[in-house]
Amino acid sequence: MSATGTCEFQPKDYKSDLKPIWCPGCGDFSVVQGIYRALAAVGRPPHEIAFVSGIGCSSRIPGYTTAYGFNSVHGRALPIAQGIKLANPDLLVLAAGGDGDGFSIGGGHIAHLIRRNMDITYIVMDNQIYGLTKGQLSPTSQKGRITCTSRYGSMEEPVNPLLYVLAYGAGFVAQASPTDLAGMAATIEEAIRYPGFAFVNVQSPCVTYGEEAQQIKGLKAISESLTAMGHNPADRLAAMDLAQQYGEKMHLGVFYRNPEPPPTYGDLVKERQTMLSKDALPKERILDLFIKK
Amino acid sequence: MRKDLVFGMAGSGGDGIVSAGDSLLQAAAAEGYHGVMTKSFGSQIRGGESSCRVRISTTPVLNPGGNLDVAVALNWDDFLKFGAELPVSGTTVVIYEAATNIPEDQIPLVGVTPLQVIAVPIAAMAKETAGTERAKNTVVLGLIAGWFGIGAVAVMKGIRKKLAKKGDELVEANQRAFDAGRAFAMAHPLKASMNIVASETKGNVKLITDGNDMSAAAAIFAGCQFFGGYPITPSTEVMQFFTDQVWKYGGSVLQAEDEIAGIGAAVGASFAGKKSMTATSGPGLSLKCEMMGLASIAELPLVIIDVQRGGPSTGLPTKTEQSDLFAAAFSAHGDVIRPVLAPTSVADTFRIVIEAFNIAEYYQTPVIVLSDQEIASRKETLDPIDTSQFKIIDRLRPTAAELQGYTRFKQTENHISPISHPGMLGGTYLASGIEHVESGAPTNSGSVHQRMNDKRTKKFDPLKDRKDLFEITGNPNAPLAMVAWGSVAGVCREALAMAQAEGMNVKLMVPYLLYPVAEGAYNEFFASVQKGLIIDQTHLAQTFKLLRMHIDLPKGVHPLSRSGANPFLPGDIVAALHHLLSELQRSHEGELQPQE
Amino acid sequence: MAIQGIDFANLSLKDALDLAILVEDEAQERYEEFATQMDQHRTPDAAKFFRYMVENEAKHGRELLARRIQRFGDAPRSVTRAMIFDIEAPDYDAARAFMSPRKAMKAALASEVKAYDFFVAALPALKDTEVRALFEELRDEELEHQKLVNVELAKLPPDSGLSDEDFVDEPAAQ
Repeated sequence: MSATGTCEFQPKDYKSDLKPIWCPGCGDFSVVQGIYRALAAVGRPPHEIAFVSGIGCSSRIPGYTTAYGFNSVHGRALPIAQGIKLANPDLLVLAAGGDGDGFSIGGGHIAHLIRRNMDITYIVMDNQIYGLTKGQLSPTSQKGRITCTSRYGSMEEPVNPLLYVLAYGAGFVAQASPTDLAGMAATIEEAIRYPGFAFVNVQSPCVTYGEEAQQIKGLKAISESLTAMGHNPADRLAAMDLAQQYGEKMHLGVFYRNPEPPPTYGDLVKERQTMLSKDALPKERILDLFIKK
Repeated sequence: MRKDLVFGMAGSGGDGIVSAGDSLLQAAAAEGYHGVMTKSFGSQIRGGESSCRVRISTTPVLNPGGNLDVAVALNWDDFLKFGAELPVSGTTVVIYEAATNIPEDQIPLVGVTPLQVIAVPIAAMAKETAGTERAKNTVVLGLIAGWFGIGAVAVMKGIRKKLAKKGDELVEANQRAFDAGRAFAMAHPLKASMNIVASETKGNVKLITDGNDMSAAAAIFAGCQFFGGYPITPSTEVMQFFTDQVWKYGGSVLQAEDEIAGIGAAVGASFAGKKSMTATSGPGLSLKCEMMGLASIAELPLVIIDVQRGGPSTGLPTKTEQSDLFAAAFSAHGDVIRPVLAPTSVADTFRIVIEAFNIAEYYQTPVIVLSDQEIASRKETLDPIDTSQFKIIDRLRPTAAELQGYTRFKQTENHISPISHPGMLGGTYLASGIEHVESGAPTNSGSVHQRMNDKRTKKFDPLKDRKDLFEITGNPNAPLAMVAWGSVAGVCREALAMAQAEGMNVKLMVPYLLYPVAEGAYNEFFASVQKGLIIDQTHLAQTFKLLRMHIDLPKGVHPLSRSGANPFLPGDIVAALHHLLSELQRSHEGELQPQE
Repeated sequence: MAIQGIDFANLSLKDALDLAILVEDEAQERYEEFATQMDQHRTPDAAKFFRYMVENEAKHGRELLARRIQRFGDAPRSVTRAMIFDIEAPDYDAARAFMSPRKAMKAALASEVKAYDFFVAALPALKDTEVRALFEELRDEELEHQKLVNVELAKLPPDSGLSDEDFVDEPAAQ
């Protein structure tokens, strides 16, 4: 039984026949499992779900689900997801991708999606590296990180994805990790259920290019449950405080959930459409708008 | 008496000269005339030089006209900045502000002696009658009514309507300024009367709009439900009109954070099953390339309106050019065919945009509509359009049977596969920019890539047989020919009429479909041709080169091209035709001589 | 390894059997996934071993299912897969491309140890004697599984001590 009491869908109903190209041991295997479970718990049939991604190892993920998938171009999952949501507000819209996709090439989009508060859940599989292109510096790589494009160590500070989205005013911000699959599934489920934009940063280790400390064992050592710490997810400032420890500590669970979710962009669109529909000229008379009397 | 008058007026932004042009066009339409109005501005947001050109005629107007019949200069500095856009000739009546203190025989127009030059104390009359110099534009309208017989009643009727809410005082001030202008004209008759003849269609309903608004209206008529875009001159009004209207029809608009996000959202909306569009201009088109490629490989319908301006880069943001042709045909990497259509006027923008949606939906492809700054921002009077003549095509959806074991990119006889969308039970698939097999599953197989490239390109073959996307006028067997598209086509239509009136045996092809190049249509057209001109407003003769890439053009066919913001006049084209004709005659003489 | 929503103190025999079946199911599925991953990444020996584990887990699962049906017929199940994670299934990050059969076996062994620990940890909370008996049995089975894997490990030639990573191609950029 899922939380809603429905058992119509099982996680396996969301699993496609495509075989992942991910390296064995990749954290993304856990993430897709977490997504199957979260979707089963939410209980929407696969054909009512649109799952959009950009480019990168993790962006292959929509193909591994039975939802309508869109594996688009680098960095542009969010604009496409927004178009889908506006065109059909009844769909459950998920977007996912890596840290490079979300915070480098597509870094400009997230702020605006947050401003618009569309009911879209965005899962970033954060592995601090460009895996698909063989291990270059990524926007979340820590300063000093040695990669093939930073032989002498990176000279840049990493982006802090949690603080970034909190600062722009996201209504739901959480972090998960394959170190706690149950928690990850529950967090993603909660994100999907949140009425508005929801962001989940998943620390998903790269087994091929990741550093030792970023593997499961290393992550376990720095992980801490926000619930266990007694963090109040309605407290945005406390959430921002905790988010500052990104890279040092791995807090798992919900950083911030707006206790009074404002209307979503979709709600406002519907309101406007309803209000204006009575003013519509029949389409075949649209040119009457140009008559000068 | 005249049947056709071209007015060109310039001043600074504060002179309200464009607003006067608007009033003049509307008054003319109310009196049953046909008309076109174009505007041109300097680069300042406010207070730069501004000008308009209004052509009024008793018959449908094909273009903004050539040399001015009437030039109005509120000051000479501003007027001269427009150069070839406001050409004065020996048949022009020049009206200018007397306060410029330039004698009538010393106006700063080089190498030309106008038909008549009249200094009018426009500002002084405005100040005296309306209490403010700002009413100069209304005085000008009065002068025009007095000298040329347009708008004696209708101008003030329009102004009254426009200002009704602002109170009687303002209306009366305008009325006094108008009357003063008209009275001045009456008191100083022209050397030769230039009154326009009365229109026979007075009282008929006329529409007035520009290309951008027309594009958006056509999109709504075609069933477009989504617009994603970013403000960019000169295309922004498409988004503005759409956002005023589309909510009423249950659709929506996203003013995105950038050009890429704008087209991205449109791609998403199309994937979600709705007709969608974006509009942009050159710099935006450059940014949208990757998404256009995505829509092509994912086989998603999408309409992109590119309102061309001078390029490259920022170029000339407020001036027209046709230099996005190569970009429209070839942007985005990889082997892609992406249909490109071009309207030639505000009126046919309606049809072409509907056609773009139909082609996008039928072929499941992005389609570019190459408008240009002139068509987009010029106002035309239009006779009402019977919208019932237009068929609307929707994308091929899978049947219930096809949704059992659905294959998104199924190979079919015409290479077009039924397309599902999220929400459709049984239709789930993976859309992707990565190469995919028929099911949608990613692949990197060379043989699949070959097969799918075949599918995605061969599907367009029937498009090239669409004869209705080519307009051919003149003698079909003529040895002399012109090809022109977009706003230049209107100039060539008039040039054709002029050349024919001179007895020239010439024909004109106006392609509405620019890409893929319909080899058959051109080969047929050029079969009789010995000499010809491929005319466009590009520096590199892009149209000529695009055609030559696909067709063996006859040796005597040459480009006639010039950079943007240097408009073609019908007379320029006729002169070029004369040149070709004499070449043709010489070569015939050459052929004949040996036989004699 | 994680559980959620299971009240061990009041666990019925039916639920306990169902839970055990789900644990075997999960492990079986995971080994199948690993075998597929190994196929995908040209690691046939490890794939072969993971398939052997699939069979083991499936066999055990079938035995438990037979007992469940014999005892409770097709009475509805009230525990679900959502309540368990990684009880007997090896962790996802235990897999590696080009992993040697030895590494594959060690991964399996670690998960059998993990499962043993799970049943041991659960025992003190159980009140129903039949359930206790079942859990003790399952705990002991995990020891048997460990022995099975150890037997397979013993069959391997001695470890060269060399790292696989020193021999394989570099990853390919995509």
